[in-house]
Amino acid sequence: MKQSPADKQAFQKMIPGVITAAGFLGDDDRSPERIIEEDGIFFDELRLDFDAVSDKLEELQHRGEAGLGEPITVGKLLVQSGDARGMLPCPWSDGFFHKNAVSVRPADVPIESCVEGEDMLIYSELSVHMLRVHHFCQGRGSPFRLEPALIKRLLF
Amino acid sequence: MNPILVGPLTVAGISTVLALIIAVLDKFLNNYGEVEISINGGEKKLQVKGGSPLLGTLAAENIFVPSACGGRGTCGACKCKIVSDVGPHLPTETPFMSQKEIESNIHLACQVKVRKNLEIELPRELFSIKKYKSHVEKIRDVTHDIKEVLFSLDDGEIEFVSGQYVQLVVPPYGEIKESVQRAYSMSSKPSERKHVELLIRLVPGGIATTYVHKFLKEGQAIELVGPFGEFRVHDTPAAMICVAGGSGMAPFKSIFHSLHETGAFPEKDIWYFFGARTSKDMFYLDELRELQAKWPRFHLVAALSEPSPEENWQGDTGLITDVLDRYLQTTVPKNDKGWEGYLCGSPGMINACVNVMKKNGITEDKIYYDKFA
Repeated sequence: MKQSPADKQAFQKMIPGVITAAGFLGDDDRSPERIIEEDGIFFDELRLDFDAVSDKLEELQHRGEAGLGEPITVGKLLVQSGDARGMLPCPWSDGFFHKNAVSVRPADVPIESCVEGEDMLIYSELSVHMLRVHHFCQGRGSPFRLEPALIKRLLF
Repeated sequence: MNPILVGPLTVAGISTVLALIIAVLDKFLNNYGEVEISINGGEKKLQVKGGSPLLGTLAAENIFVPSACGGRGTCGACKCKIVSDVGPHLPTETPFMSQKEIESNIHLACQVKVRKNLEIELPRELFSIKKYKSHVEKIRDVTHDIKEVLFSLDDGEIEFVSGQYVQLVVPPYGEIKESVQRAYSMSSKPSERKHVELLIRLVPGGIATTYVHKFLKEGQAIELVGPFGEFRVHDTPAAMICVAGGSGMAPFKSIFHSLHETGAFPEKDIWYFFGARTSKDMFYLDELRELQAKWPRFHLVAALSEPSPEENWQGDTGLITDVLDRYLQTTVPKNDKGWEGYLCGSPGMINACVNVMKKNGITEDKIYYDKFA
């Protein structure tokens, strides 16, 4: 995949300490364009659609907000919508997004037994934007990675 | 030379020369020398080396403007008024600014580079904020995802008002390559000047809370910056209607124990509504009930939003906003002293509680809160 100047600039902002202290790539040693390419293949294989997944994540965020900061049961899931102070710019410079963290996990698994990325999805408004518009799930090891297989298992 | 290598080597050579030229020019053009920062019309004058962001420059002079993102321009906390002309607002600043703030020349201190003499305005309270060296004296799990952490101050004592917060300086760890600061309300009493206690809830994906829950150990040295914040008890006879959930307990723990200890504001009745999802998320219940038993003006209402039948919960149930509404309509005495709202929690919880309070006759100017965000 040929890297556009916009992508190149965006990828430079994904490293730790530029937009967020942890960055968006985790401990993934793949390039961001490779991450996007390979996750796109996973999405196809799992018959997931970026818009449909983004819609579902937004719906869960809004339903979680009814918990007023505490976790709330939504069907078979436990959803917690939390807020943090401030806003984050998208690395592709196409918007600012309210800082928040939504966690979604199976309601029957205690949080102590949950492993981030294996049993629990964590995402923010920025994560959903990057998924919907840029098809970027974030690198492996990033706490906010939207792992395609976990999306399929938890949400569909 | 192999002709295939000529092209790449030429490009590499030109790039190196350009980088050197840029480095040399930067050294001369960006050398701003010593500049003066005049604060509050000359009340304080600092001679500093120019070239760095205002936030860090002030911190180096022990003036700590609140910041929760380490100067990346993403928290919007470090607002200050720049009297001198520093040019238009940057695109990184405008998302955090109202039109009025832009017109008043309010900037984010982390986005303003100190290039020349500056005149700025800062709240005077910031002058008393200090950075404290401390060590962790005790860590205790109060629920499965909230830790009570007691810090012992190594160099001096802290003076604060119940309701204020400190910023915990989290050192680099794992993939986090730089120090970050996060704000937490103090749950300790102001009379315990050698200690600061915080309640820290694990936020999935949270840098500071993950550090506290998974890496921080008893005996470890750590820095705190503070005290910050305006949240405090107001000197009126009105009854306090306090609402919190989760680690929003922290400022109220400090307030209640301090009021009980000092006997301050004796006319105030205190109603405390605390919400959690299940009894596993509820904490300090025995301690608060004990306080209620020995302190007639303190009333505790603990509620669970999703208790399971096997928990055998005997207290109130429902979202804390619904419980609050019910009590304000049926149980909390209405008298001439009136009511004041005190809230600590997520913006969603605060907004919902404000609506319930307004519906029950508490005017917005009498609702005080400490939003986590």
